[in-house]
Amino acid sequence: MTAAVSLRGVTKRFGALRALDAVDFELAPGEIHGLLGENGAGKTTLARVVAGLLAPDAGRVQIGGREVRLGSAAEARALGVAMVHQHFSLVPRFTGFENVALFNAEAWTPRGGVRDDYRGRIEARAAELRLPVQLDVPVERMGVADRQRIEILKALMGETRVLLLDEPTAVLAPQEVEGLFAVLRRVAAAGTGIVLVAHKLDEVLAAAGRVTVLRRGRWVLTREAGGVTARELADAMVGVGGVAAGLPGGGSVLAGQEAPAPAIVAELKDVSAASVSGAGLRGVSLAVRRGEILGIAGVGGNGQRTLASVLAGLQAPDAGEAVLPAEAGWIPQERDGEGLVNDFTIAENVALAVHAKGAYRRGPWLDWAEVEEAAAALVGEMDVRSGAPGVAAGTLSGGNQQKMVAGREFLRSGKLLVAESPTRGLDVKATVAVRERITALAKHGDRAPGIVLISTDLDEILELSDRIAVMVRGRLIPVPPEDHNPAAIGELMLGAGSRGGVRHQADARDRPGARETAG
Amino acid sequence: MARRGLRTPVPDVAALSSFLVSAVGLAVPLALAALGETVSQRAGVINIGLEGSVIWGALGGALGSLAGGGYAGLLAGALAGGAAALVFAVFAVRLNTDQIITGTAVTIGSLGFTGALYQSRFGVTGVALELETLPAWELPLLSRIPVVGPALFDQALTAYLVYVMVPLLAWLLFRTRWGLALRAVGESPEAAHAAGVPVVRTRMLAAVFAGLMAGLAGAHLSLVHTGTFAENMSAGKGFIAIAVVVLGRWRPAGVLAAALFFGGAEALQFALQAFDADLPYPLFLALPYVLSLAALAGWFGRSRAPEGLALPWPRRGH
Repeated sequence: MTAAVSLRGVTKRFGALRALDAVDFELAPGEIHGLLGENGAGKTTLARVVAGLLAPDAGRVQIGGREVRLGSAAEARALGVAMVHQHFSLVPRFTGFENVALFNAEAWTPRGGVRDDYRGRIEARAAELRLPVQLDVPVERMGVADRQRIEILKALMGETRVLLLDEPTAVLAPQEVEGLFAVLRRVAAAGTGIVLVAHKLDEVLAAAGRVTVLRRGRWVLTREAGGVTARELADAMVGVGGVAAGLPGGGSVLAGQEAPAPAIVAELKDVSAASVSGAGLRGVSLAVRRGEILGIAGVGGNGQRTLASVLAGLQAPDAGEAVLPAEAGWIPQERDGEGLVNDFTIAENVALAVHAKGAYRRGPWLDWAEVEEAAAALVGEMDVRSGAPGVAAGTLSGGNQQKMVAGREFLRSGKLLVAESPTRGLDVKATVAVRERITALAKHGDRAPGIVLISTDLDEILELSDRIAVMVRGRLIPVPPEDHNPAAIGELMLGAGSRGGVRHQADARDRPGARETAG
Repeated sequence: MARRGLRTPVPDVAALSSFLVSAVGLAVPLALAALGETVSQRAGVINIGLEGSVIWGALGGALGSLAGGGYAGLLAGALAGGAAALVFAVFAVRLNTDQIITGTAVTIGSLGFTGALYQSRFGVTGVALELETLPAWELPLLSRIPVVGPALFDQALTAYLVYVMVPLLAWLLFRTRWGLALRAVGESPEAAHAAGVPVVRTRMLAAVFAGLMAGLAGAHLSLVHTGTFAENMSAGKGFIAIAVVVLGRWRPAGVLAAALFFGGAEALQFALQAFDADLPYPLFLALPYVLSLAALAGWFGRSRAPEGLALPWPRRGH
């Protein structure tokens, strides 16, 4: 059988860095192929080469048995290759329908108008894949799972032979992950080869037929998923004698159950706040005490961003009262833009964050030697790859930028630390490091901050939090300790706590077009 | 202010009609340039060099008219404006330089070059150049509509170009594949790129289109409005057009309305001057800008500029 995709000796360099180094890779039609590796291992680069978004510097690429020299996404698209990006490649202000049509040439008449029957074809395809989508709502007003379904439908409207998904599960609730995998299995059964880039080992093993591991741009192994354990894969990802011992076990160990220090460091009283995109806050009350970790679970797009903005002091509430400390650490979800100044070096970014506190200052000047020392320590501790104090932050890969931001915010943690999905997209080693730091910080006695951990990763919430609450459409629902388990919280995340949410979901599943009039 | 104005004699219908003729005439160059800029900004390119394209259009129009008559002048003006925008686009789009700085440089350079070129050709102290102006086309029946007829349907070709362009651009931008692709480039170049839209080419074409339209606006100034060319005669029309785009919320029909509003304010100022009314009439010139600022601040409901406006592509620092 002809391979859907075949790479031979593919190399891709970014400056001095070899993101891919003579990599071989093969995808069979109709298989789900898991692609694993740490941050900066080259997973996304490999997917982007196949999707025509990057041209390789050396090596051969075959798609459907045909030798290709891909330079453009349109060319790859014509060959039946489609990619679902980690930070979706949707135009936020366009509706779901417009986004699907933009990507698909067959939506259009030769004169440039939309085909009369195209809408019907989209609806039929969505029904066939059992993929409930909102076609008339601007993407920026959708939750993250709805956006992902638009992105997937967009990719599957044409004759798609190869589907590449970059970290598709990172933003989903456990129940939604199952739904996604069910869709992928149906797609694969129809003969499409699927590459699933992911970092949760057990998920990949559950969904994939074969897995390939990359490490620092090199191919390490390709195996049948049935014949390999999570432990072996983790070792392969980090190299011999890896950190599998520190692997998050998915258990629900609750750290720090003993009585927390009593002082309240931040409090919201019946706070409402609007949001430009996604849900805002509706009557949210919470209090964070020194030394405790308050976990906020929830499916992305339910008001978490607004909550973080309010807690970090970036947005004033429209109603209600927010009592916040003068200094708060903030690990934002968007790594570049909000977290880092891309054109600044690592040292400059560190200095920027802490100079207001008086650290590293000598009179009116900054003590650069001390800043560089702190930056170097941070790079070492957080294992920031290809990082040095003098390197521009913008040249780091996404995961490494995230490590940097997290490390820096730990450095300046004041009375409050707001961490938004601090390990999203991080590899096993870095995830362990970040989680250990958060736990350690909370045990810092009198100098410990109160920590609000906002995460879509339920395992993370369960592992770290003292108390847990769930965000659903702008409201905050406290979870009693006896319900600190994935099933109970997952139910709440999907809106089972409020009657409206359940009906909403059910409607959408029965009739894909059910919510079209909502926009 | 308005109350004091009531003491002046109430203008009769003829005066109102001539005010409207003047308002539409003043609005036409703004509308032409702003329609082009709308397309450019929808593709994510803010062309501050528009003023440069207008002055090149005025000079191109004058030279073209001397060589081959009024309509040759119109064509030459459009091409001259397009050429100035091409220079802008090569730097700001192809070479990814800062759009604002590049546009400013193109404007300042254009004002200087056109002045120098004019002087070298016609001398410093020469008598004002006399150009044949483009004739007004009086449309049968339509121009007989009382009051607004002459204002709208007894104008030069440039006005009719505006009438055709507004629905045409609205259809292209919001009903066709090319429009969707162009708007995607302006909103999110990453998403457009991933969808296979050639981002750089789209932006280049949009910027040059804006230049062609601004060139027509300039040619209107020399060939319809004045019948001559003078240094710096663009007098900020290119910048005003950018404000018109904002007030018109990046939509062709809105842009037309905003251009008429700016043109009306300017015509009112002239009219009050002529009536010798006891009013601080230059304030009327300021009113549209105040409203543009208000529009930007969202006082008239939410309208946002394209998300990718003035953002470099490919993104720098990677």
